Amino acid sequence: MLFVCCTIIVIFILTFYIWHQMESIRIGYEIGKLEEKVLTLRRQVDELETEKSDLLSLDRVEKIAKEELNLVEPKKEQLVYDEFIH
Amino acid sequence: MNTIYQKRARIRIIILGFFFMIWLVGLTIRLIQLQVFEHPRLKTEVLEQNQNKNTINPKRGTIYDCTGNILARSLPIQSVFYSPFKGEPSHLQFEKIHKLKKILDLSQNELQNIYKRIEKNSSFIWLKRKIDPAKEEKVKELSLSGVYFLEENKRFYPHGKLAAHLLGRVNIDDVGASGIEYKYNSVLEGKKGEHLILRDAKKREYRFETLKEPEAGKDLILTIDETIQYYAEKELEKVMRETEASWGTVIISQPATGEILAMANYPTCDLNNPLPMPLSLDRNKAIHHNFEPGSTFKIVTASAALEARKVNLTDSFDCSQGSIRVAGKTIRDHELFGVLSFPEVIIHSSNVGTIQFGQSIGEEIFFETIKAFGFGEKTGIDLPAEEKGIFRPLDNWTQISAASLSIGYEISVTAIQLLQAINTIANKGFIISPRVVKKILGSPDEAMEKPYGRRRIISERTALVLTSILQKAVQRGTGITARIEGYKVAGKTGTAQKFDPSIGTYSSTVHTSSFAGFVPADNPALSMIVVIDGPKGPYSGGEVAAPLFREIASLVLRYLRIPKQGEHLNTIIAERRLRQVER
Repeated sequence: MLFVCCTIIVIFILTFYIWHQMESIRIGYEIGKLEEKVLTLRRQVDELETEKSDLLSLDRVEKIAKEELNLVEPKKEQLVYDEFIH
Repeated sequence: MNTIYQKRARIRIIILGFFFMIWLVGLTIRLIQLQVFEHPRLKTEVLEQNQNKNTINPKRGTIYDCTGNILARSLPIQSVFYSPFKGEPSHLQFEKIHKLKKILDLSQNELQNIYKRIEKNSSFIWLKRKIDPAKEEKVKELSLSGVYFLEENKRFYPHGKLAAHLLGRVNIDDVGASGIEYKYNSVLEGKKGEHLILRDAKKREYRFETLKEPEAGKDLILTIDETIQYYAEKELEKVMRETEASWGTVIISQPATGEILAMANYPTCDLNNPLPMPLSLDRNKAIHHNFEPGSTFKIVTASAALEARKVNLTDSFDCSQGSIRVAGKTIRDHELFGVLSFPEVIIHSSNVGTIQFGQSIGEEIFFETIKAFGFGEKTGIDLPAEEKGIFRPLDNWTQISAASLSIGYEISVTAIQLLQAINTIANKGFIISPRVVKKILGSPDEAMEKPYGRRRIISERTALVLTSILQKAVQRGTGITARIEGYKVAGKTGTAQKFDPSIGTYSSTVHTSSFAGFVPADNPALSMIVVIDGPKGPYSGGEVAAPLFREIASLVLRYLRIPKQGEHLNTIIAERRLRQVER
C-alpha cells in the first residue's frame, strides 16, 4: 500500500514537473512573441509620429491652406488674444 | 576438413584484422592530424562558418523642438550585404551580384569595389546600405544565396530643410557630422550591443543569443520653436530672393534666458536629400562667420561711454562737416547732420558723432568694455565650431583703432555675439550665454533644466538709457522700418562696407546689412539679429535688415500672443463681444 502511494506521489510530482517545464517554455515563447509585437508596435508608433510630423510641416500646411482651401492671413482687427503667455 | 576451414578462417581474420588495423592507424593519424596539428586553423574556420558575432546598433535619440515636435528621428531600415560560401567560384558570385545591379542602383564604381572584395575572399561585403522597403522586397524575391539583410537606423528629418544648419547631419554610420547631431553625438548615439548567431552546417540559424543589450540614445529637447523657426526661414528666404544677397542669417532668442528660439540661414539644404554644397555655404553662418558689424556695434561704444561717464544725454556733437579726420584718414557720415545730441548721434547713426565720444572713452576702458560684451571670445553656445571673431589686443591698436572700433570696424564678430550684446541691453545689463538645448531626456538631471549663468557687465541705468535711445532709433531714426504698430521696438541698424582684398581697401559696392533689436522694449519677449551679406540694390540696414526684423517680429509676437502695448485682454474681449452684439 505504501509502495503504491509512494509511486503515485512520485508520478504526480514528475507529471507536475514536466507540466511546469512545458508551461514555462510555452509562456516563454508567448512572452517572446509579445515582446516582438511590442517592438513592432513601438516602431509603428515611431513611424506614424514621424509621418504625422512630416504631414503637419508648416510649409505644407500653409501651402494647402492658401492654395487649396483659399484661406488668407487674418487682418489685424480680427486678432483676439485669449490669454497672456508673456 | 575442420582444420583446413579453421586455418582459412584464421587467415581471413588475420587479413581482415590487418586491414582493420591499417584503417584504425590511418584514422588515428588523421584524427591526430585534425585534432592536434591542424586544430587551431580548423577551429577558426568552423567558428567563422558557424558563428557570427554582430553588433546591434542602438537607436539614436530623437531631437524635439520646445513644443514637442519631432525635428530628427531614427527609424529602422534594411541594409543588404553579401557573405559568400567558401569555395564558390568567383564567376558565379559575380553573376549573383549582377542580378542586383538594377534593383539596388549599383554604380559601376560600386560594382568594381564589390568584385574586388569577392576576389579577396572577404566574408562580409556591403551591397547597399539603407535601402527603401520596395527594393528590399525585390531583393528578397530573388532569394539569392549569400545575400542577407541587416537592420540599421536611418535619420529622418520630417521638416526637411527646417533648421538644417542647426540640426546638422549624421554620416552613413549614424554618427553626428555637424550641428547638434555632432555636438551631442555622445548623448544621442547610445551604446552598441552585441549578439551571437550560431549556424549549423547548412547555415541554418539554430541559436540566437544577445550578449549585450544595446542602450538607446537619449532624446533632446531644443529651445528652438518650430513655428518661429519657420517664420524666420520663410521671411529670410523672401528677402534673400529679392535682394540677391550672397547669404543671410537670422537668430531669434528669449533675452531673459538666452534660449535661442530660431536660427535661420540662407542658402540652406534639405537634410533628407543633401546636395553637395560649397563648404562656405554649408556652414552655420550664425556662429561660424566673422564680419565687421558697422553701426550695430555703436551700442557697445555708447555703453562704454555711458559707463565711463564720459558722456551725458545733453552733450552735443558737431557733425555739420559730414566727415572727420582721424590719423590722416577721413571717415564720413551717410548724410549731412548739424549739431547732434548724444542720443541723436545713435538715433541717426552718425559716424562723426560716435567717433567724437568714442575717442573720449579712453582706449583701455573701451577695450575692457568690448571684452566684457564677449567680443573676441566664444559665446559658449552649445553648437560645434563656434568662431570667436577677431578683436586685436590693446597692444596692437593703432592711432585709428579707437575711432574705427567705435563705428564697428577693425573688429570681426559673429551674429551670435551681436545677439548676446543686444540681449545684455535687453536684460538691463546682464550678459547671458545663448543655448539651443533645453533638456536631455532620460539623464539623471532630466527634471532640472540646465541653469543659465548671468553676470552684470553694465549698470542698469546704462542699459535703460540705451534702451530708450534704441527705441527712438526705431521710432524716428535709421531703424524706422523696424517699427511695429502697437509695440515698442528697440534696435540698431548697421551698414558695413566689406573689405575687398583685391583692391586692398573697403568696397563701395558690397555691404553687410544688419539689424539688432528687441521687443517689447520695456519687457522684452524676443530679441533678434538679422544679417544680410552683399544685398544688390538697396543695401543699408534700414532698407534691408530692419524691414525683415519687422516682418518676422510681427509674426512671432502674434504667435506668442503678446498683446499690443496699451491693449488689455479684457478690453479686447469686450470689443469682440460688442462687435458680436452689434451684428
